[in-house]
Amino acid sequence: MAYTEPDKVVDLTEAAGLVADGDVVALGGALSYREPMALVRELIRQGRRDLHVVGSAHGIDVDLLVGAGAVRVVEESYVGYEQDFGLAPAYRRAAEAGTLEVRESCCYTILQQLRAAEYGIPFMPVRGILGTDIRRLHPEYAEIRCPFTDQRLVAVPALAPDVALIHGLMADRRGNVHLLRPLVLDERFTFAARKVVVTVERVASEPEVAEAGVVLPYFAVTAVVEAPFGAHPTSCYPHYTYDRAHLGEWVKAAADDHSVGQYLRRYVLAPGSEAAYRDMVGADRLAALGEWSISDERWLELLS
Amino acid sequence: MSRELTIDEWVCAAMAGTIRDGEVVFHGFGSPCATVAMHLAKRTHAPHMVLVEGATYALDPDPAFIPPTSNDWALMRRAAHVLRFEELFDLAARGGLDRMFLSGAQIDAYGNTNVTAIGSLEAPKVKLGGGGGGCNLSATAQRMTLWTTHHRSGRALVGRCDVLTDVGHVTPEGTREELGFPGRGPGWLVTELGVFDFPDGRARLRQIYPDVSLDELRAATGFELDVDPGLRALPPPDPAAIALVRRLDPLRVRRREFSEQELNRRFRWADDGRSCTACL
Repeated sequence: MAYTEPDKVVDLTEAAGLVADGDVVALGGALSYREPMALVRELIRQGRRDLHVVGSAHGIDVDLLVGAGAVRVVEESYVGYEQDFGLAPAYRRAAEAGTLEVRESCCYTILQQLRAAEYGIPFMPVRGILGTDIRRLHPEYAEIRCPFTDQRLVAVPALAPDVALIHGLMADRRGNVHLLRPLVLDERFTFAARKVVVTVERVASEPEVAEAGVVLPYFAVTAVVEAPFGAHPTSCYPHYTYDRAHLGEWVKAAADDHSVGQYLRRYVLAPGSEAAYRDMVGADRLAALGEWSISDERWLELLS
Repeated sequence: MSRELTIDEWVCAAMAGTIRDGEVVFHGFGSPCATVAMHLAKRTHAPHMVLVEGATYALDPDPAFIPPTSNDWALMRRAAHVLRFEELFDLAARGGLDRMFLSGAQIDAYGNTNVTAIGSLEAPKVKLGGGGGGCNLSATAQRMTLWTTHHRSGRALVGRCDVLTDVGHVTPEGTREELGFPGRGPGWLVTELGVFDFPDGRARLRQIYPDVSLDELRAATGFELDVDPGLRALPPPDPAAIALVRRLDPLRVRRREFSEQELNRRFRWADDGRSCTACL
């Protein structure tokens, strides 16, 4: 389905309303980078439940949604904070308690599944997975033989998310979106998903977005929201680096359900909007995250 | 120049030594020791190596520092190019990735690794982060360098992985050949206690750090230890290489991979530079 409305700019409330309980939701960005956090926060405010999140390697987006009780199935290749803050506490706790279904996947498997959806074919083959226990988590995979070479392969089925949530740099009102690399799976999500909801740092004119470079074309994009710092506390270069101190605050809070509740009340529920969220985090602090480009020394200081 | 080095610096140098000049090499995310090792190799013995960053997919960047997270623009600085996610994984699928660095909470004698869960898959005692791209990359990468910085714990090198995420030479379902995997599997395993190779698809201890005894290494190893008859101490790293490690990683992110106790291990170069001894 092509999205051809001339003006797709909506508010965050309406945009998050495009996600239904139980949807398969693709989360854009990865790890500490350009995750759709404004939408994640709004889904939590709206009390969304039973989501099935898919993606490659992710961090606070999945951990926060799981902590808020919004997720039933996680199908990602990794959820955590690398050597930075280690395992994702809320995700880990729910997985160990059995309240969350973990269908751990692999980056290339997810890519091939999205490609199958994009190509309009029922599956794509991969050469790994055999011999691993990851296969046991996925009864939907099938071992096949190549009809030409007789090689053993694993067929992974097409994956068309109900909705993809992506945070970008800039978009015009028609929905053309400008992103910079790394793009991770954002393009693949956009063409594989049924609906694509994009938040951006800034809504701009069509010529300005065209000049910067369109990465996601308007006809694939369902809705656009202007959400400055909409990836915070993950990074959205060149606008801002990631907020390492805030991430640390969340990871600490994620250690138990009580402090998860406190974090959610303080940063998600009580503010009630992204403008109030930015106030809560603090304008000075947000502005400082943009100072990474001043010098390598300042950059290093921000990440220390 | 400093006369001493610490274990984290030596492990990075040992990992760098497994890279051959001209190889296309990739590290996963959350792998600061591998990141440091690759940049070290590129700037010393492997100038023609094609360095692909683990989460930005940048080619041959010149970072001012190694950041605590791996998909940071710090690992794109002055890059020749930034690949797409798809381009890296397709490259590996068609056999164009020469070496991959891979770690695991558990590693068995065949180089199978577990980054998924401790306990059972269905009811994990500890849910680990997950395998990223390893489940497919370990099948097709031409060669792999495995590493762990937790050998001494006795929980890292195990008789059998609780859950098998990434494939080594032999899995319970068959050998790489039987599974149809074109990659040649793990060639090296570097730990904070020693260095293993895989002559017949099974880990064999080849080098040991000067402050580690064979008995203590054996006690920390959960599989039956094969030892190379020519076992020797690790050759000391070049002091200039260690200075480079410090310059590449001023935030010392690499040290996050080690326990506090291990980080106290220091070594001193002999005056002729041909050996290193432990500082007690």
